[in-house]
Amino acid sequence: MVASLDQSTTTAGPIGTSPRRKEDHRLLTGRGRFVSDLQLPRMRHVAFVRSTYAHARIVSIDCNELDPIDHPVFTALSPGFEVGLFAQSALPGYVETEQPPLARGKTRFAGEAIAAVVADDRYQAEDAAEGVVVDYEPLPVTVRAWDEPQHPVHDAALDNVLLARTFSAGDVDAALAAAAVVVRREVVTNRHGGNPMEGRAGVALWEGSARDGHLTFWSGTQIPHLVRNLLAELLELPESNVRVIAPDVGGGFGTKAVLYPEDLALCLMARSLPGTPLKWVEDRAEHLAAATAARDHRYELEAGFDAEGHLVGIRGEAWCNVGAYSVYPWTAGIEALMAGGLLTGPYKVENYRCSVRGVATNTAPSGPYRGVARPATVYAMECLLDSGARALGMDSIDIRRVNLIGPDDVPYRLPTRLIDDTGHYAECLDACIERLGLDELRAEQARRRAEGGKPIGIGLACYNELTGLGRAASAGPRMPFRTGHEACTVRINPDGKVVVLSGVTSQGQGLETTLAQVVAEAVGVNYDDVEVRYGDTDQSLWGFGAFSSRQAVIAGGAANLAAVDVRESALRLAAELYEASPDDLRLENGSFYVAGSPEAVGTLADAARVAYLESNRLPPGFEPGLDATRFYDPVMGAFAAGVQVAAIELDPSTGEITILRWVCVEDAGRVVHPQIVDGQIAGSLAQGIGGAQYEHLVYDDEGNLRTGTLLDYLMPTSAEIPEFEIGHIERPADNPLGVRGVGEGGTLGPAAVLASAVADAVGIDIDQLPLTPERLWLALEDQR
Amino acid sequence: MTTDRVTTDRVTTETKVELSINGRRHVVGVEPRHTLGDVLREQLGLTGTHLGCEHGVCGACTVLVDGEPTRSCLVFAVQMDQTEITTIEGLAAADGTLHPVQEAFSACHGLQCGFCTPGFVLTAVHLLATNPAPDRATIRRELSGNLCRCTGYVGIISAVERAAVERAAVERAAVERAVTNAAAVAASAADEPSSPRH
Repeated sequence: MVASLDQSTTTAGPIGTSPRRKEDHRLLTGRGRFVSDLQLPRMRHVAFVRSTYAHARIVSIDCNELDPIDHPVFTALSPGFEVGLFAQSALPGYVETEQPPLARGKTRFAGEAIAAVVADDRYQAEDAAEGVVVDYEPLPVTVRAWDEPQHPVHDAALDNVLLARTFSAGDVDAALAAAAVVVRREVVTNRHGGNPMEGRAGVALWEGSARDGHLTFWSGTQIPHLVRNLLAELLELPESNVRVIAPDVGGGFGTKAVLYPEDLALCLMARSLPGTPLKWVEDRAEHLAAATAARDHRYELEAGFDAEGHLVGIRGEAWCNVGAYSVYPWTAGIEALMAGGLLTGPYKVENYRCSVRGVATNTAPSGPYRGVARPATVYAMECLLDSGARALGMDSIDIRRVNLIGPDDVPYRLPTRLIDDTGHYAECLDACIERLGLDELRAEQARRRAEGGKPIGIGLACYNELTGLGRAASAGPRMPFRTGHEACTVRINPDGKVVVLSGVTSQGQGLETTLAQVVAEAVGVNYDDVEVRYGDTDQSLWGFGAFSSRQAVIAGGAANLAAVDVRESALRLAAELYEASPDDLRLENGSFYVAGSPEAVGTLADAARVAYLESNRLPPGFEPGLDATRFYDPVMGAFAAGVQVAAIELDPSTGEITILRWVCVEDAGRVVHPQIVDGQIAGSLAQGIGGAQYEHLVYDDEGNLRTGTLLDYLMPTSAEIPEFEIGHIERPADNPLGVRGVGEGGTLGPAAVLASAVADAVGIDIDQLPLTPERLWLALEDQR
Repeated sequence: MTTDRVTTDRVTTETKVELSINGRRHVVGVEPRHTLGDVLREQLGLTGTHLGCEHGVCGACTVLVDGEPTRSCLVFAVQMDQTEITTIEGLAAADGTLHPVQEAFSACHGLQCGFCTPGFVLTAVHLLATNPAPDRATIRRELSGNLCRCTGYVGIISAVERAAVERAAVERAAVERAVTNAAAVAASAADEPSSPRH
């Protein structure tokens, strides 16, 4: 069929528009397929027996009550459980430690899996787990990274420090000695986590012999290829015998970018029970107790300013609570290195020294969580600027303005040697302030101060989001791999429809849609004619997965390269078939056009049929088929600028904060799907607000989690989250699509914005998060 | 009616319950401890009902029981005998055409990962059945029993608002059609020569 090219048939869903998400129909009708939905023949169910002590020797594990055939029980002493997870880094000052699949010898946090029990359904598995009796000998407990260690968590690190590093540039001591003012802040941030609505889950099926079997592992993982790589190594299988499938996944946010001991245990159990699919679906209490969390940090910082408010130096120390284990594969350095590496944010400063430590404690392991460390560092940094402004009698917005990296400074080399390629912070700030209507709010603030009424405060935060890290930018943690690249295959089927096999994964970010837009535009077909598949290591060649706001930049880049290659092949074939010069041909909406003619000369479907079925019509040297596989690595990263400004109202009688306005303007580069991009920003803002005001994983001194259900661990609802006003300045990044990552930035601002707004409203410095009504009320009481 | 099923280590009692789910009658044998959510998912294959917390906070597992939003993790299936249940699978038309609330969620980007979505959609269907024109503040309040981790709620609130507006438009159009039709009937009746009544 030959179509004529007019407006009504132009490609639906090109880059920059918001076509209907490909994911939506199945998810809206209950036809999504999540790991927990999987039912397989002979499937049995697993429950873990978890430690009730934060730190204790395991004296004995008694499971005599259970029939070993009906309820096989696995412990660290079971055959095959000698292996463990070793997160590796070549950084000096990193102490490598092991995380066993099931606690071996001792338990290091309350909630750690000690044994696993198999049964016919989840109810029976949980019953059976109660039949396992563990005898403990308690050990002294350490819960805070900055407390004197009571008893080493790991023998390899007697002081519990798993990573220590000092970032240093210039001469900070001299700079602070010469500064007009030096301010000092000590801030503590709260442990909270991704808490995706779908918890962790896995199904492991081992087929064949123990030595040479095939393992299929369905998992909500964000990193299926990395998981395959490690499972193959630990299970001594050829990598081709391991298949990892991440189907629909109900949110990740970093929490699922981890290979967990439970995952490994499940696969080891499957090897012992070949032919029996084993399913584990955690409950929310297990998630809160044992999934990774983040941002349990303390900062002691000093900043020096000259008389005009220029930052002349920053000096300090940071402690990051690693929890009981060095998270696989990101290591105990994940938060500390990010904290020290990006503390200075989008502000120019040459003299810098910050010593960071990742410290093991008897709490659940910390790991990657949306924004990694920066929600804490942005808060710490903005606190310094607010204190600096006050000491100098400057306006809090002006002091930021004089220090922001500008377009003329780009590329700007941060004191930690990262290169900032954006510089559009002031532009974001201006757009925020304009949208907020600052003058009106200041007038109302003054009126209330004079006439009474609930105090109003205006807070702000400027931040840079390091996204799409290429091989150079991802080198920092010195892990035995570089996450700079992704592979993508673009294949045109014999019917002319396009299939994309991407190594990336999606947990709600809409990659099926975004990648389809990228490929549709690059090939020259309709969005509806592109199908995107990901999350199956047997389909895509390679990918690191979803983290560090890398999917649009790196997976999008690979998809674009492969799509361009395929289009060129198709044009070469069409040139032969339609006797035209390839340079005169173009492919649009799945049809070929010759320059100067509005009528299509043929369709991609016709050409694709020839490519696969009629080799007799192929030009000489043209290999049958139409597909291409390409890797993409941006080498550096793409910084995304962002600014948030909010107006809040305080109720002094309760300490409650009401958010009146919240404006966020980001430079996301070229926006592929505006609705999805705004959705990412809104979602990350909400998580940032949750972490700043509500969410707190509280441990008592014995290491018991006191907020172990959603009744105690408060996630924000639609009643707490305000309306957001989201704006963009689109400054294309230096990559083929011009995109910047966008998934994390929203989380970086809220703690800083709210603390800054409180300081603006009532002059109280918030030095500890979360910013609860109780904390604020007590501070107001002290002030009275 | 109860039957005893003997497993190796304990005796369980199964009770038969009759449930009408999405218009179809099911008779299932359940243990007293089985929650409605687990029975829907495990026994009936209705995996669109998602379990997010299993302690009644997140609302992901919400289904309509006799029209009322109910957390299927907090009720036992045995309590549900002789009820009519609507799950997310029961909203779209047989040909896949989305229910107006589902349609609005897609149009307004009211879902990202989709895990909490069934609970939100069913809660919203109930809200619009009881309050056809809620404002944004009301929607926020009414949906505050459901947690979403992805969207920041903005798209969800917009979706419910849009569904309400569209529904009102559809109803207005229906009323207008009815009025027009009635007028046409009246007019044509007036045109016709009057016939004597028998």
